[in-house]
Amino acid sequence: MSWALALFALVVLALLAGYPVAFTLAGISLLVAGAAAMFGVFDLALLLTLPSRVFGIMTNDILIAVPLFVFMGVTLQRSRVAEDLLNALSRLCGALPGGLGLAVLLVGVLLAASTGIVGATVVTLGLLALPGMLRRGYDPSVACGAICASGTLGQIVPPSIVLVLLGDVMSSAFQKAQLDMGIFSPRTVSVADLFAGAVLPGLALVGMYLAYLLVTAWRSPERLPAGKHEAEEPLAPGELVSALVAPLALIVVVLGAIMGGFATPTEAASLGAVGSLMLARREGSVGAAMLRDIAHDTARTTSMVFMVLLGASIFSLVFRGLGGDALVHEWLTQLPGGVVGAMAAVMLLMFVLGFVLDFIEITYVVVPLVGPVLLMMGLDPVWLGVMIAINLQTSFLTPPFGFALFYLRGVAPDSIATGQIYRGVLPFIALQLLMLGVLALWPGLATWLPERMFGF
Amino acid sequence: MRPTAAVFVFRLLASLDRALSALCALVGRAVAWLTLGMVGLTFAVVVLRYGFDFGRIYLQELITYMHAAVFMLAAAWTLRLGGQVRVDVLYRAMPPRRQAWVDLLGSIFLLLPTAAVLLWLSYDYADKAWALREASRETGGLPFLYLLKTVLPVASGLLLLQGAADICRRIVELARTES
Repeated sequence: MSWALALFALVVLALLAGYPVAFTLAGISLLVAGAAAMFGVFDLALLLTLPSRVFGIMTNDILIAVPLFVFMGVTLQRSRVAEDLLNALSRLCGALPGGLGLAVLLVGVLLAASTGIVGATVVTLGLLALPGMLRRGYDPSVACGAICASGTLGQIVPPSIVLVLLGDVMSSAFQKAQLDMGIFSPRTVSVADLFAGAVLPGLALVGMYLAYLLVTAWRSPERLPAGKHEAEEPLAPGELVSALVAPLALIVVVLGAIMGGFATPTEAASLGAVGSLMLARREGSVGAAMLRDIAHDTARTTSMVFMVLLGASIFSLVFRGLGGDALVHEWLTQLPGGVVGAMAAVMLLMFVLGFVLDFIEITYVVVPLVGPVLLMMGLDPVWLGVMIAINLQTSFLTPPFGFALFYLRGVAPDSIATGQIYRGVLPFIALQLLMLGVLALWPGLATWLPERMFGF
Repeated sequence: MRPTAAVFVFRLLASLDRALSALCALVGRAVAWLTLGMVGLTFAVVVLRYGFDFGRIYLQELITYMHAAVFMLAAAWTLRLGGQVRVDVLYRAMPPRRQAWVDLLGSIFLLLPTAAVLLWLSYDYADKAWALREASRETGGLPFLYLLKTVLPVASGLLLLQGAADICRRIVELARTES
């Protein structure tokens, strides 16, 4: 029985008890380090590097984009921008069968991106959209499926903070892999590369979701009925512009600035944050109390993300000190099927871990361990990042453990049976798996755009 | 323990909890305003760079300082408000008393050791920086690197205090719901 393995098992067990993840990761790792030191298998001097590691997190420039994107997302959610966008879209296409479903899907994808936390997104959408869909006479399982799926999809459509975090981790994993292979002028991969890589697969998924809703509405209109009132009050062009075009333009400007190479993700995020404040101001909802709430929400969400990062960094220090990364390397390289087998094993592991751990934890605990090994086997870092993102998103949707389902259950009325929620997400899971398969066969779907834009 | 003595102890624990949590909340609420400063300053830096070709390292560093202060110093306050993410597959379904036990044991065996080790190690780290009045390594950077490094032991200390407060709170809660 190896110490590293015991550490991993203990951490997973302790996490299940439900004490905050950051301090469980750090606490268990330090306790195990202490015990291992008594048996002479861990060098406590390693812990002396802890302050400078934490300081490294504090001064990581790439990650400054995180609070700014969170600020943008919080502002859009707290002001009436999201609500107005949903209203405008549902009036625009509500007269179509399935129109409201389309509106919810688009709002989910647009506004979910910047929070990066599965729970927050699904809860917001559930409160915002579910009552209206049910009033309209939507089949509850279709309504729930659409909400869960679009709430989680937002996580992988740029500019999502999940991709910022994954980009940061992937870039150091890629660095490490190349150094281990003896390449001393390594190529780099950036957050912008990952953003660009996620665009096509993300849009393809949005397209597939939309197509699914439209086909369902066409074949059984009673499940996604068209609205009766929408036709009577057409949308004024002014309203359309202010509610619909402005938020869309904001996202496009932010993304365009990053992918066009005009701005770093951090700079673009500050544009997004200021822009979202301007949008909220036009809604007339920005007062001192509102600003304070936005600042508080942003600070707390940011602190949560970075505390997990801090806990995970203590974990990986101890795990490495106990020889864990050698173990992971050995395990992955000895799997049958070479790189395909290793990739499949990692994806399966992450899928299962996705039942208990959120995106941030998996990004910081698991990816640094398996990433360098997989990249040394010759996988493309952008492709790997996008595969991981879609895989985890699928995991969050999968009954009975998927995160998204729990959170929606929490805000859905009791009249909806849990089984209905489960049935509703199944078609979306099938689409996700299809996308994973397509991406595995044609990696170009993820790598083509970054190659074009950055010559990566 | 005689009932009056027990009541006295629980009152003491409850007020200790209130005082410590209030301190952490005060710090957290104060640094939260820096998020607005970060948005404004980053935006200003972008405008200055692209509009006026004006860039200064100390402005960049100021953003980093604010960022680090926010997430480190707001951590204890966030913990108290339940904002630190949990794996709640099982936790959510537990009765309140068992949740209180998880939090009590977690505070004692996970949070306190972490905060104590971080405080102990980072005190020396910051102390060395103070002795040198360590400044930025970049020319034109801020001369306050030692202050930034001080954030580390201060944040660890706040977490330690919040951990103590949570322990008091859970003990009182468990005692109160015992019968």
